[in-house]
Amino acid sequence: MDDILAEFDAGAPSSSSPQDVEHLTKFWIAERTAPEILPYQGDVLERLMERVRDQISLLESSLGNLDPTSSFRLILVQTELERIKFLIRAYLRCRLHKIDKYSLHILQTPEVRARLAPNELGYMKSHLALMNNHYLASFLKNFPENLRRLDDTVGRLSMVDEPDMDSAVFCKVNRDVDTEITIRGTDAAFELKRGEVLVVRYSAIRELVGNGDVELI
Amino acid sequence: GPLRPTEVSFLAESTPITIIPRQRLDTLPLISLTTPRLTPPQRATVPLWLALILKKQKRCNIVPPSWLSSHTISGILQWEHDNPSSFSGALPWHWLELSELLLEAASDDIPDANVGGEMDLRVLLRALREVRQSKARDGLKQLEGTYLLMNGLGMMEITELRGFAGMVVDGLRKLGAT
Repeated sequence: MDDILAEFDAGAPSSSSPQDVEHLTKFWIAERTAPEILPYQGDVLERLMERVRDQISLLESSLGNLDPTSSFRLILVQTELERIKFLIRAYLRCRLHKIDKYSLHILQTPEVRARLAPNELGYMKSHLALMNNHYLASFLKNFPENLRRLDDTVGRLSMVDEPDMDSAVFCKVNRDVDTEITIRGTDAAFELKRGEVLVVRYSAIRELVGNGDVELI
Repeated sequence: GPLRPTEVSFLAESTPITIIPRQRLDTLPLISLTTPRLTPPQRATVPLWLALILKKQKRCNIVPPSWLSSHTISGILQWEHDNPSSFSGALPWHWLELSELLLEAASDDIPDANVGGEMDLRVLLRALREVRQSKARDGLKQLEGTYLLMNGLGMMEITELRGFAGMVVDGLRKLGAT
C-alpha cells in the first residue's frame, strides 16, 4: 500500500529523474573515455529532455512574478536547468565527434551502426554525402577513376579510420570478476576485484564494460 | 578526449554538502533533486552547486566535511609518506575539487583555512597533492606489465595523469608488439 501511495504522490515520471541524471553522467564519462562509440541511451535522454521542457515551461509561465523570493527560486531552477542542458549537450557532442571521426567505419560496420540514434544516423549520412561531394568537386574528379575511392583498403594501409581499441583507459571495478583477464600478445594475466581502479587497454575490459562489471572513469 | 579540469569540477559540484540555512526557503522541485525545505537554524543537505549559490548570497553557512581539517589532512599526509606504494583511501573521490571550491567560497566557515604556518590547511593540502602526484608518476614508470593499479586516487588526480598514463600504457603496448 505504501509504495502505491508513494508513486501516486511522487508522480511516476519525475521520481526517476535524479537517477536519470546520475546515469547520464556515467554514460557521458564512459563515452568520453571509450575509443569506440557506445550504444545510444535513448530512454534516459528522452525522459530528461521532457523534464527540461517542463522546467522551461515553468520558467516561461513564471516570468511575471517579480517578488524577491520567487525570483530567487527561479534563479535556482534556471541554474540547475543549465547544468542538465550542459550534461545532455556534452553527451551528444561527444558522440557526434566520434561519428565525424569514424563515419566510414560506422557505415561499413552494422554492429556499430546499430548503436546510433536515428537522427545521428541521418546526420552521419548527410555528413558523408557532403564530404564526398566536396572532395569530388575539389580534386577527386581530376584523379584517374581507380584512385577516387575514399574507402580504399588495398595494401597494408586502410583509408577507413577505426577507433583504437587498444588505447589506455581508466576504469573502476564494480563487481568481482571470476574470469582471468589476459592481454593479447603478452603474458599478463590478472583478476579484477571490486573497488580496484586501474589503467588498462580498452580491448581487455571491453566486454566487462558492456555488462557493468567494470565502469569507465 | 579525456575530461578537462573544468568538467571534473562540474561533476564535483553535484556532491552533497551540509549547510546551515540563514533564511527560509520552501522546497523546490528540480530535475536532479527536490530541494529540502530550509528552516534556520536546522541543518540541511544540498548539492554543492546550490550550497555555493546560497553561500554567495549570504543565505547559508557551509559545514565543512570532516576530512577537510588540518588534523585529518596531516594524518593522511603522514600515511602517504609511510606507504610509498599505495594511495590513502580516506579521501573522497572529488577531494581536490571540493577543497578548492570550498576554500574559495567559504573559507570563513572552515576553521583551519587561515591559520598560517605548517598546520595551515592550504599548505597541507598542497603537500598532500604533491606527494600523491609524485608517487603516481613513479608508479606509472615502474611498469607492472600491461596494466596499472591506482586505487585511492581522486578523479581530478586521475584526469591530470591521463596523458602521462596513456603514454606509458601505449608505450608498453608497443614494446609488447615488437
